[in-house]
Amino acid sequence: MSEHSAPPVNRMVIAVLSLAGFFVAFYMLAHSLGWTGPLICGVGDCATVQSSKYAKIGPVPVSGLGMLAYLVMMGASLLGIQPGRRDSALVGRVLVGLATVSLLFSGYLTYLEAYVIHAWCQWCVTSAVLVTLIFLAAIPEWKLLGGGKA
Amino acid sequence: MTKFYWVLGAVAVIGVAAVGYSVGSNSFGAAATEPVVVEGMDDPTQLMSLAQGITKGDANAPITIVEFADYSCPGCGAFALQVKPQLDLQFVQTGKAKFVYYDFPLVSIHPHSFLAARAARCANSMGKFWEYQDQLFRNQPSWSVKPAVEGDLLGFAAAVGLDQGDFEACLKSDQFADVVSANLRLAEELGINGTPTIMMSRGNGMARRLTNFDFASIESVANDMLAEIEAEKTAGPTGN
Repeated sequence: MSEHSAPPVNRMVIAVLSLAGFFVAFYMLAHSLGWTGPLICGVGDCATVQSSKYAKIGPVPVSGLGMLAYLVMMGASLLGIQPGRRDSALVGRVLVGLATVSLLFSGYLTYLEAYVIHAWCQWCVTSAVLVTLIFLAAIPEWKLLGGGKA
Repeated sequence: MTKFYWVLGAVAVIGVAAVGYSVGSNSFGAAATEPVVVEGMDDPTQLMSLAQGITKGDANAPITIVEFADYSCPGCGAFALQVKPQLDLQFVQTGKAKFVYYDFPLVSIHPHSFLAARAARCANSMGKFWEYQDQLFRNQPSWSVKPAVEGDLLGFAAAVGLDQGDFEACLKSDQFADVVSANLRLAEELGINGTPTIMMSRGNGMARRLTNFDFASIESVANDMLAEIEAEKTAGPTGN
């Protein structure tokens, strides 16, 4: 891509999806910190999922980690659409790396919901869908991993 | 590019509005979270029937151990987790004593304790009082300091296998606000001013309030009472 090329659409998509994911994760984090009442859970059983031992890693809520990941992906993708950064390999590496780790972790959480906790949380599923879409949107970044600008 | 920022801005506005609304409206509907006035509570005789303890063990056990407690009180948590299991094993399960729990939510210093007491009563109505109480005390350091606890209370219900819909409906209502309020008034009428308060009695005798509620102290009093009962049995009926 040249300096005068149009901003990469996939990064714009990642930015929007990451922002949506950030709010989903923030909502769940706010709940786990007691800032909200019960989770709005029209489908599934959020209380069971959120009260399970898998909702935290040590003292850290999983939603907090998710929020951080979404924030970094949004920041990287917004940076990556600015002139001069549109063919940045560093942005590509961050997006591909985080999207892959997030997809794997999200897959693990979905497995726990299905086979260990035996309950579904609609917000966790929403986040899993967003992460999957982000991963798909990050696929074009693979071609930048070997080279490009830092 | 402009279109992109419009979309991003729209997502941001919707997200901030949704999360802001959720955090801002964290009250729990019509749930009773504070003591209520119950008709007849000022009459000591009626108060005795309005206040209801929850009993564990043989109703005909020779000794009664009564506890007045607050789910947000650390001392009550320590008593529940360290002393009560030993009492349960040594005296309740052996039929020597029954344990009776009364709510004494210190609402002036513990804003969630009334709702927690109601939650436990909701669990009691579904047959899981002691399991739910265990959840409350085990997780006390976490939930009792939060600004809103409804999510945690629902989570504990899920953890002990209660029906979420039924439990939430109970919690969101004013169910058991009268019983918890009556228990609170009973504690006040009895001059109880701290939690946990442990009282012990044998038969229909006068209750004895314990100043120490470690296991050794309670065990000692219980064994003395059992010895007295045994001695009276051996001596046979006196008087007439």
